[in-house]
Amino acid sequence: MSVEAVARKDFQDAVRSRWLLGLTAFFVLLVSVVVYFVRPGPGQTIPTSALLGSFLVRDALVTTLIPLIALVVSYNAVVGERETGSLKLLLALPHSRSDVVFGKVAGRAGAIAVPVSVGFLLPALVAAIGPLSLQIGTFLGYILLTLLLSSAFVAIAVGFSAAVSSNRLAIGGAVGLYFLFVPLWGAIQFPLRLYLGTGGAPGWLPLSGTELLRLLRLLNPTGSFKIVAGEWVSTTLFAAGQASVEGGAGQYATAMEIAAFAMLAAWLLVPPLLGLWRFEGADL
Amino acid sequence: MHASYGNVCRLPHELPKSKAETGGSGRYMAAIELDGVTKRYGDVTAVRDLNLAVEEGEVFGFLGPNGAGKSTTINMLLDFVRPTSGTVRVLSRDAQAESVAVRRRTGVLPEGYDVYERLSGRKHIEFAMRSKEVDGDAEAMLERVGIADAADRRAGGYSKGMRQRLVLGMALVGDPDLLILDEPSSGLDPAGAKEMREIVRSEADRGATVFFSSHVLGQVESVCDRVGIMREGELVAEDSIEGLREAVGGEEQLVVTVDAASEEDVEAVRALAGVSSAATDGGTVTVSCESDAKTQVIGALEDAGVTVKDFTTQEASLEDLFLTYAEGAGAVTGTGTGAGAGRGDDSTAAADTEVPE
Repeated sequence: MSVEAVARKDFQDAVRSRWLLGLTAFFVLLVSVVVYFVRPGPGQTIPTSALLGSFLVRDALVTTLIPLIALVVSYNAVVGERETGSLKLLLALPHSRSDVVFGKVAGRAGAIAVPVSVGFLLPALVAAIGPLSLQIGTFLGYILLTLLLSSAFVAIAVGFSAAVSSNRLAIGGAVGLYFLFVPLWGAIQFPLRLYLGTGGAPGWLPLSGTELLRLLRLLNPTGSFKIVAGEWVSTTLFAAGQASVEGGAGQYATAMEIAAFAMLAAWLLVPPLLGLWRFEGADL
Repeated sequence: MHASYGNVCRLPHELPKSKAETGGSGRYMAAIELDGVTKRYGDVTAVRDLNLAVEEGEVFGFLGPNGAGKSTTINMLLDFVRPTSGTVRVLSRDAQAESVAVRRRTGVLPEGYDVYERLSGRKHIEFAMRSKEVDGDAEAMLERVGIADAADRRAGGYSKGMRQRLVLGMALVGDPDLLILDEPSSGLDPAGAKEMREIVRSEADRGATVFFSSHVLGQVESVCDRVGIMREGELVAEDSIEGLREAVGGEEQLVVTVDAASEEDVEAVRALAGVSSAATDGGTVTVSCESDAKTQVIGALEDAGVTVKDFTTQEASLEDLFLTYAEGAGAVTGTGTGAGAGRGDDSTAAADTEVPE
């Protein structure tokens, strides 16, 4: 299949890049440091869920670093080949432009699975020999959810990369997207939460303040990830029924969890489709 | 079905006949058909109203100086760029709507490409095989294009010539019906260029149509059935090599040294029967004409009040003819910088001129 051929080639190409090697080393190092910090005292053991649910892993590591890695690895996926001319080699072969875009998403998402998997598994296995009681199912599930998050950001970056015509624009776009989704979103949400949380929604909106906050949280892929990953780690994913006290793990309604998954799936598809729409019309 | 040929160098009278007749229909199948194709980038017209047909099984040389619109045309065949107007058909399919199907049967050596620096030569060929959904021996292909010994090295470390060979190898994967080669000899040493011609020949013998571009006539002369010459986005000549030779056969180039010649003087020369082009830089007048028109040329100049100091004649070579077509220098009034017609100095190439037919 054409998409598969492109994805395979792209994966082979990307895993050989020094960037990916460096990021893998960096990620292993960081996870190791975090595991060291949240390690239990002598004689005690903690479950992996406590590790994964900790603020350090969830907020500091995964939702800030994974988007960054994904954007760095993918921002030039299409436009980089367009600038060097290797895209001509790719499109001289019987691939459609949509094969190229979606093959790139798959290839780069696969390439990122390397640092993510190695980064999580290596320190975890080391720790499991010592004081960590490894819940292997929870752990693997968490890695898969992290890969869903990284894939969403790869899709965003590849979509952008397909839409623009120069590497400079792609770098600018990647930096902008990172700031939008990671620091800026949080910065905007905080004052909004104070305002909307106290019932102060603007009257012209058909949504209540809390609904608006929920929507904002869902819209950001890292927000959706926090919802599903938090529920997964506390083993309440799709199990909480209608209990809908917002805020803590195990407290989201199932509908919210489904919405979060749907949102991540939308991020996987919509940006590449938009990028493809621009790419299809472009003279190379 | 393709006919196969023992020899690519054929005389023109043998050319299109019985080449790729379809069943009993008697109609020739066109491998490439451009109909009224124009491509504009903003104000710049890269290709203007191009009509061109290349028959199946033919080896077609697409000539012209850099910037004449050759690569733009090739990019339209491959759907890298889309025509502003006109239709492009390749292998009897719409080049845009059915591009993937076209490229499945086409091998391409594009211009301005880059290889995947981090992947080995073998990986490149394997990727081409997987993309075209054919099984094959990557090693054998690398052997054929002469870089088997570098099969497992990163292509980023390849020289320009080795990259060219590698991409040619990718193009040959799956025995394509059509080969599109954009400046295939660039980056190759003379021995490499010769190997390239041999590969073109053997592909044509197999029955493939070969469409390749070049800015050097010498490279294509020996392998082409027909050539087309592009200049400033237009096809200015389309003929067999033999036809071109015949066209140039009766012509001579007359270089007249004068005291001073103006455009009006040259205009008088151009008006003569048997003169195909004339140009002057003030001190010399260069005329392409039939040999029996020489005395009239000298006479016309003297009648116009120009003092003729000396003149020499030389038979125009194929290369001169090519340059005349390609750069449109034949009927150009020189601006004092060049030596005359057919030498292709920049001042003449850019001028707006009529092209001798």
